[in-house]
Amino acid sequence: MINFESVYLKRNNKKIFSGLNFFVQKNEKVLIQGKSGIGKTTLFKILLGFETIDRGRVSFNDLDIVKKHIKEIRHQIFYLSQDIDLKDGRVSRILDEIGDQNILKNQDNAHFTNLLNFLDLNNKILNQTVKELSGGERQRIGLLICFLLDRPVWLLDEPTSALDDIMKKKIADHILDQEKTIVLISHDNVWKKNDAVKIERWL
Amino acid sequence: MGAQDLNLLSLMSLFIFLIPVFYINRRLRLTINKTMVTSIIRMCVQLSFVGIYLEFLFKFNSPVLNTVYLLIMISIACQSIIRSSNLKVKLFFMPVFFSLLIPFTIILIFFNAVVVRIDNLFEAKYLIPIGGMLLGNCLRSIIIGLNNFYSGIKKDEKVYLYSISMFNSRIQALKPYFKESFLAAITPTIASMATIGLVSLPGMMTGQILGGSIPIVAIKYQIAIMFSIFYTEYFSTMLSVLFSLKVGFNELDVLNQNIFISKE
Repeated sequence: MINFESVYLKRNNKKIFSGLNFFVQKNEKVLIQGKSGIGKTTLFKILLGFETIDRGRVSFNDLDIVKKHIKEIRHQIFYLSQDIDLKDGRVSRILDEIGDQNILKNQDNAHFTNLLNFLDLNNKILNQTVKELSGGERQRIGLLICFLLDRPVWLLDEPTSALDDIMKKKIADHILDQEKTIVLISHDNVWKKNDAVKIERWL
Repeated sequence: MGAQDLNLLSLMSLFIFLIPVFYINRRLRLTINKTMVTSIIRMCVQLSFVGIYLEFLFKFNSPVLNTVYLLIMISIACQSIIRSSNLKVKLFFMPVFFSLLIPFTIILIFFNAVVVRIDNLFEAKYLIPIGGMLLGNCLRSIIIGLNNFYSGIKKDEKVYLYSISMFNSRIQALKPYFKESFLAAITPTIASMATIGLVSLPGMMTGQILGGSIPIVAIKYQIAIMFSIFYTEYFSTMLSVLFSLKVGFNELDVLNQNIFISKE
């Protein structure tokens, strides 16, 4: 599903990838570990077409990351960035906009309420602005969007860093239980413990 | 009829007031004497030149010559806009040129043909001063528009890209930045329409009244020109952002980093 074949990338004269090979099968769950600055986030950005590689080949579902395919590729990927870079505004408005631009498979109100409960979020949060949210709330709003969009591939960059231990475990178990292709970057131990996960150590 | 000519010597007499200004500047250690002198010299020289070639243009009153003159004015405006927006002239010249040219031509022709109803649409007496007024006003609004739009996205790049990934729509992701910059660009003109006449008499009216027009005629022209300025600004600012998207972003909707003038 995701193929990186001998990928080379340099940024500001610093080598980020020199001959990276990385493959993910459909519905596989992969956890990438390695120290910061090693290019883990860059990997996600390449898949989304936000970074262009210098040499090598990257494909998603056998599609090259080019103008012709980019809409289709982005349509299948949900990306949770480390800081959940949402534009400031009321949470409810952001969710509405996301709903307007994407066809949500499950538009049921009960489904939405279930997700809110599962993430331990209160209805009141919908009237707050993104700036007012705490780190943990932001992260859970990001995950809420992830579950609502229900895209087939999830790229999650530190999805549980700001959550408490009980929540971390609950979320990790839930996410790894999905029939989705998932690539994770996380320093949290909860992910490692799960047998569903294949661990990639980058040195 | 017309305004009384100014004697050159009497005009020069205005320099007298520079003496107290220089003196006060020195006493207060305001280090602006040099810039002030350069600006005053530039103003005198540039206006004298304009005087000379306007005289020349009015004498020939040739449609081709007038049009060429306007195109040169647009090109100069274009360069100045792009440079002031901290963007590269080479990349943005064509998009900005056309976003000025299109509304400018339509409004100018409409103004001359429908509003003033002059027979010769290319009459230098109308074409050039009105054209100059429209351009001068567009300059400011396009600079604000382009600058806010591109620097806004640059500053907010992570958020912009995140919107792309969520909405999977460039238009949706660009919308807030467009809205913000466009409003910043045209709000001053809307505000100035609301206060015009209360505080200051616009330059065009003053000129016409001195030139012998009765106030009511001057006011009609002023209203017509305010409309024209507003429309030209509105559309040229909007088009300048739209037309420049192709150079501003790469094929995968990512902002091109090489469009900015580096400040090193």
